[in-house]
Amino acid sequence: MDWKSSIALSLCLTQSEKMSKQQLKWIVTGNFTADGAVAYLQAENRFSRQLVDALVFENKEDAEAARKAAAGREALVTDPYVTEVADADKQLDVLTARERIRSQGPSTPYGRLSPTPRVV
Amino acid sequence: MYQYDEYDRRIVAERAKQFEGQVERRYSGEITESEFKPLRLQNGLYMQLHAYMLRVAIPYGTLSSKQLRKLAHIARTYDRNYGHFTTRQNLQYNWPKLDDVPKILQELASVEMHAIQTSGNCVRNVTSDHLAGVAPDELEDPRPWAEIIRQWSTFHPEFAALPRKFKIAVGATPGVDRAAIAYHDIGVRLIENEAGERGFEVLAGGGMGRTPYIGQVVGKFVAKEDLLSYIEAILRVYNTYGRRDNLYKARIKILVNALGVEAFRERVEEEWEQIKDGPLKLEQAEIERVARHFAPPPYEKLPDGKPQLDALRLGKDRELARFVRNNVLAHKQPGYAAVIVSLKQKGIPPGDMSDEQMDAFADLADRFGFGELRVTHTQNLVLPDVRASDVPALHAELVKLGLATPNHNKLTDLIACPGLDYCALANARSIPVALELMERFEDIDYQSDLGELNVKISGCINACGHHHVGHIGILGIDKGGEEFYQIMLGGSAGYDASLGEFLGKALSVTDIVPGVSKVLNCYLGLRTSPEDRFIDVVRRVGLAPFKEAVYGPPTMRQGVAHADH
Repeated sequence: MDWKSSIALSLCLTQSEKMSKQQLKWIVTGNFTADGAVAYLQAENRFSRQLVDALVFENKEDAEAARKAAAGREALVTDPYVTEVADADKQLDVLTARERIRSQGPSTPYGRLSPTPRVV
Repeated sequence: MYQYDEYDRRIVAERAKQFEGQVERRYSGEITESEFKPLRLQNGLYMQLHAYMLRVAIPYGTLSSKQLRKLAHIARTYDRNYGHFTTRQNLQYNWPKLDDVPKILQELASVEMHAIQTSGNCVRNVTSDHLAGVAPDELEDPRPWAEIIRQWSTFHPEFAALPRKFKIAVGATPGVDRAAIAYHDIGVRLIENEAGERGFEVLAGGGMGRTPYIGQVVGKFVAKEDLLSYIEAILRVYNTYGRRDNLYKARIKILVNALGVEAFRERVEEEWEQIKDGPLKLEQAEIERVARHFAPPPYEKLPDGKPQLDALRLGKDRELARFVRNNVLAHKQPGYAAVIVSLKQKGIPPGDMSDEQMDAFADLADRFGFGELRVTHTQNLVLPDVRASDVPALHAELVKLGLATPNHNKLTDLIACPGLDYCALANARSIPVALELMERFEDIDYQSDLGELNVKISGCINACGHHHVGHIGILGIDKGGEEFYQIMLGGSAGYDASLGEFLGKALSVTDIVPGVSKVLNCYLGLRTSPEDRFIDVVRRVGLAPFKEAVYGPPTMRQGVAHADH
């Protein structure tokens, strides 16, 4: 995500949130134990790194039951929790800046960004 | 710099091996995450939004070129080709895999480094003045004292489970604070009394976070030999009376301010009476043993470098002149200078450095010094021992590395926490705001006109970006899942420590940088001369004109009176 375009992320999010209140649903997410990457509970009790794969629950109680089951698989996933999503027009969308960044990665550049040094 | 002895080497190597076993047991299910968490935290390993984060200790911000090359190697081998220097003189890796962490700890141990006590409710990395040993205005090098405290606090069995984390900073320059000493749980200042004797002024109860306080003087003049016993007495009082029932009231600052500094001092001195003549009394031989590790390097006998540097400041090479004016500092040794290397480059998060830059910079530390560098709490690096005559050549090399930004102590020399882009505690992003400020105010002539100006950005109330003590502080908050930012004005991390005050209601992510711009324009209109610094103007005129500049006249404002702090 380009950091300049991401500046507007929060505003888009608010609009998305307002539009989607009627379609509130729930997913289970946590972090993979091996590398800490974001994990989404998907079908057949597996976990994916992609939000698009997340299993969507129509009610919070079912999501909570799935979270409890996931919490027992600590070697695979750490600290799973339930979070709200909007699921309008088959477009799965998280509702907070935090979850948006978790699903897309840092909004800012990192790594080898400066000019490659010449031999000093 | 300090060299490990056999004992140091063994405990650090054994610690890495021990963590390998803990990771194995975590995977096998022998220990749960809740059991593993305090173990990994004591080894500096956090779980962040997208990955683990490993915090590596850089005691009092001093690194060798060999250690920096190892940090580059780790970034390249186990992470994503960069490291992030923090506001406590440490380095963080943002993407290590759990399996790799024991290997990283072994790599660190091979160059006398570790991640021990960089997290958890224990005494954390001891920080100090980044110009220690070279500043012309210091009484003496504070690092031997920081090292003595480091050795005492490492694996101290009594203080391994304090009510909360505990941070100590040490300085030795009268009337100057380059280490934010007043904002530490304990701040130690080497001073000289009227009789010319040197001892320590010991502050306690400083801190930022949810409830910021400036540290108060507890020990007015503690003899050198009594430093450890006095600090131990403070820790004992805190460990006994500090609150453990409420995470947000557990830091020593809450205890000091609840008791009042006089009552707190009485308890400390009562405790100290019982232990001051015990085994913690420092013998001169031990002080000298540690101090020998920090003996000055073999400086050449050179003429005073000031005329040379003054000529460069006025020279035709404008880039070099700006660099020398802003980033080249006086040195206690004639013919030498300390050079601030800014890690605030346009488009790059503050404090980030790539593996390639680290390797190349390590070479510069060897070529233009004695193989040593410093990390500042403002997320910059320092080459502490550069010959004045070498400054142009060094500058040319820094330009090639993209590390010659001449903005030390200027607007874009800002600090920022990792914020919501990485941190699990954050409410809002810090780095994009920093990047936009760096781009918008890139013009160094404009920055020079503004003069000394510290901007500090935190993505949450925990204040890792020191927003309370920025001349301009920016605090990210969450309102219904959306990011907003509050502006604070008037803070200072220096010897004239002061806490900033909130200007008004929070601004949206698109309004925060224009808001800062309005504050700057207001300052330019209010100052009486270019020497009239931003912080002085804020202290003189108060917030009202700045509030009007950002939010409009009182009659135009809505909701300002109900600003949510």
